[in-house]
Amino acid sequence: MSSEKVTPWPAVPIPKPEEVYAGLSDQAKDYPLYLESICRQSHAFEKPEALSRLRVYDTSTRMMIGHWCSSLLAELGAEVIQVEPPGGDPMRKLTPFGRKEYMFTDKESGEPVGAHFLHEMRNKMSITLNLETEEGREIFKKMAVHTDVIIENDPPGHRDSLGIGYRQLKELNPRLIYCWVGQLGQWGPHKDKPGMLDPTAQAACGFCHGTGDPKEFGGTPMRSALWMCDHVGGTQAAMGILTALYYREVVSGEGQFVEATSAEAVIRILDYSWAWYGMDGSIRPRFGNWDLAINIYAVNPCKDGYMMVGGGHDRLWYRIWRVVGDEYPKVEDDILGDPHLREVADRLAMNQQIKTYTMLGEWLKDNSRSEAERKLSKQQVASGGVLYVNEVAEYPHFKYRGHVAETESPHYGKILYGTTPFQQKETPGRLKWMGRPTGYDNQDTYRRLLGFTSEDFTRLQKANVI
Amino acid sequence: MATDTAVSNAPQISFEEFCRKTFDPKGEFAKPEALKGIRVLSCTQYILGPSCASYLAELGAEVIKIEAPRRGEAMRHTTPFNEPFLYPLSKHVPERGTGLGFVGANCNEYFIAIDFHRPEGQNLVKKLAAKSDVFVENYRPGTFDRWTLGYRQLSAINPRLIYQWLGGFGGWGPGRVRASYDILGQSQGGNFGMTGKAEFQGGSPAKHTIWLADYWGGMMGAVQILAALYYRDKISGQGTFMEYSQVHGVTRQLEYALPLYGRHGITRERWGTWDTQLCVHGIIKCGKSSYANSENPQENEEGYILVSAYSDEDFARLCKTIGDGNFATKYAKADDRVKAQAQMEIYPALEKWAADKTKEDVANILDKANINNQPVWNSKEVATNPHWQQRGSVRWIDDPYYGDLLHQGPGYKLSATPPRTKWAMKPVGADNEYILGKLAGLSPTDIKRLEDQECI
Repeated sequence: MSSEKVTPWPAVPIPKPEEVYAGLSDQAKDYPLYLESICRQSHAFEKPEALSRLRVYDTSTRMMIGHWCSSLLAELGAEVIQVEPPGGDPMRKLTPFGRKEYMFTDKESGEPVGAHFLHEMRNKMSITLNLETEEGREIFKKMAVHTDVIIENDPPGHRDSLGIGYRQLKELNPRLIYCWVGQLGQWGPHKDKPGMLDPTAQAACGFCHGTGDPKEFGGTPMRSALWMCDHVGGTQAAMGILTALYYREVVSGEGQFVEATSAEAVIRILDYSWAWYGMDGSIRPRFGNWDLAINIYAVNPCKDGYMMVGGGHDRLWYRIWRVVGDEYPKVEDDILGDPHLREVADRLAMNQQIKTYTMLGEWLKDNSRSEAERKLSKQQVASGGVLYVNEVAEYPHFKYRGHVAETESPHYGKILYGTTPFQQKETPGRLKWMGRPTGYDNQDTYRRLLGFTSEDFTRLQKANVI
Repeated sequence: MATDTAVSNAPQISFEEFCRKTFDPKGEFAKPEALKGIRVLSCTQYILGPSCASYLAELGAEVIKIEAPRRGEAMRHTTPFNEPFLYPLSKHVPERGTGLGFVGANCNEYFIAIDFHRPEGQNLVKKLAAKSDVFVENYRPGTFDRWTLGYRQLSAINPRLIYQWLGGFGGWGPGRVRASYDILGQSQGGNFGMTGKAEFQGGSPAKHTIWLADYWGGMMGAVQILAALYYRDKISGQGTFMEYSQVHGVTRQLEYALPLYGRHGITRERWGTWDTQLCVHGIIKCGKSSYANSENPQENEEGYILVSAYSDEDFARLCKTIGDGNFATKYAKADDRVKAQAQMEIYPALEKWAADKTKEDVANILDKANINNQPVWNSKEVATNPHWQQRGSVRWIDDPYYGDLLHQGPGYKLSATPPRTKWAMKPVGADNEYILGKLAGLSPTDIKRLEDQECI
């Protein structure tokens, strides 16, 4: 698979502002152009960073939750130092289906890194330190006084038993914000087992059981393709850290202990599951690509793929059937004439959903994603096709706004990536660089923080401490 | 100052005991709140905007939710199969209830009603915004600007205001006029197309059952707001405008998919319940139901369990446990095991072994062999699990309006300023008098008049 055959991104040029806003009156252009002037990513480097005074050591390994958390802080300007064991985080070696040719290689050292790890190493430095050695731990203690935040995901109590856990480090640095992340937690009957990673949390929080098609439709519980709970858990961890930072700076002057788990983060957002079970014992069922609580609000097959159509209230309901009725007047008549579909609330019953989507499917099977979207958009109905990654990368709106962009790394060459959604006027998020080889920042970091000499480096490398 | 001093400096207690005391959900109300004194106006509907504000309410911010008078916002009318409701919807509409779709996205808030279309309502919002720190809204881009309540107008009244807009596609660019919902964010952002069973497994793209792009998008908005509050109060003294596009958020989380596509032109595809980067690390079917006698189809179906043995040592032990010596040698190396063809052989063999077992049987056997596993729990198994109960992840709350309610706890824990759940929600306009009296100087007579006119 040679990359030379691959069409450079973007295959289709990014639209220009004059094309995007062509034909609009000054009044109609005023607000979008104002937003564009204050939010465009190309202006980011003209502005300061919100967290530029914050230093973070991400000492988590083998799991995405900690890396995701520190990625968000790094996008917002924190100085994030990834502390890896000598040889690097084992996660560096992960690549889909074990294919080495999909990895990115450092031009200088030849060290490969998997694309998943690389994507979450944005704006981070990399140093190595072996916390399993006595000397490594002494170095870590000295480093702890120089930081605001430490993130770790070792098995519960491991760092504590080594003398470098929250209880010990907060004595050395009372301002320290210490964050443990994991799948199920550091305490409680099912506290984390070493090495567990997502989708453990997906299975343990009720997400998998409720995702996928019902059994009658040939379905089974389904996981997110992504290590999704780690993303949500890492986001909650970032919230915890920023809350602790705010409280430290504005009120207390002291740090605190943060615990975030992938499973609880998603329990938090499993909407009505708990209230519903508490009220009448209902167990959240799988409902495929339909919604238990809104109709029309679903993805169904169409001519060239899968199509989302949404409109929960009356105004949109009638517009959707008008669009369908243009081609299938009988379908529109049948739906509008059905007394059981007249009230918004009545449409939610299972058999009414089956009828709704069977009828809608009649129209969808003759319409492609883009045709269906064009027709429904004229009526201002929220709709759109399920896009695959190649389509996401080339979608004009996303390219124009820079949701997807390409960066040129001094180490790894050109990398296509998903940009930070932290877009704002004063202190926008940004990408400065995408990943570093293992231990690339050892020299700078240990010299400026601890005053290491060349002798120190030689000795510690030999002893496998850094 | 640190509120966990009671349990610190006590090396005699184990680390687990220390954590248990430090994070005890029963001790939450004995500790201060991080965002005490921060006022948030939440002019929001559905989930994306509301959840963003409610995460701040968990941290102690005074969040004032503003809804349309009488009927409130759309999510109050959303509930699974139209069955469970909590009464009343508002004091004016006692015969109707609020749907459970509203629960989880609006906890700890104060509820007032204002008609944004009327000049009198707009003036009230301006009075509140002058005294607020954060303004959250998720109407179509430009709507609030048209109502003279956008960032341009409100920042002139209150330069310290942090204005967070959240929505589907963002307010500029070729798709700026498109409406969006969570499921559209999932569909177009890219995570929908890669989730679900693969073609050869007989599957199609699958939705994440939760309103992920909404609830998690709101969380990303809250992260951004916390950073902006810190920056304002510590450094600049100035507010800002922030735009969060949920479809952008989803595209951010596609892991290796974009780098892989950019470098090699390869489109990441669905891989069912298995993992593309690790093997064994997938969910398998166990032939026997754990509740074969239950009449509930959610319980009497077969069980499922995540089996995780991707290191060479763990995999060797797994092969020994299921009595398959062939795999142990053929797939001794992780790089060989994770190949697509190998996974297509290994998982069916595991399912064959589990065909006469429940998920608990499998978990017991694997636990004894020290192999990581996690049964797929349904919402009842989660809600009744001692682990989640002890940690307060799912908890009964004594809601002032709705009585005993099973509710999710905050998604993370803090030792000194823990987030907490106070109440699930209130009826539409329940706090009109308290909030509009306190912040807009309205008398009871004013409030009665405006309520009668359905302006509030």
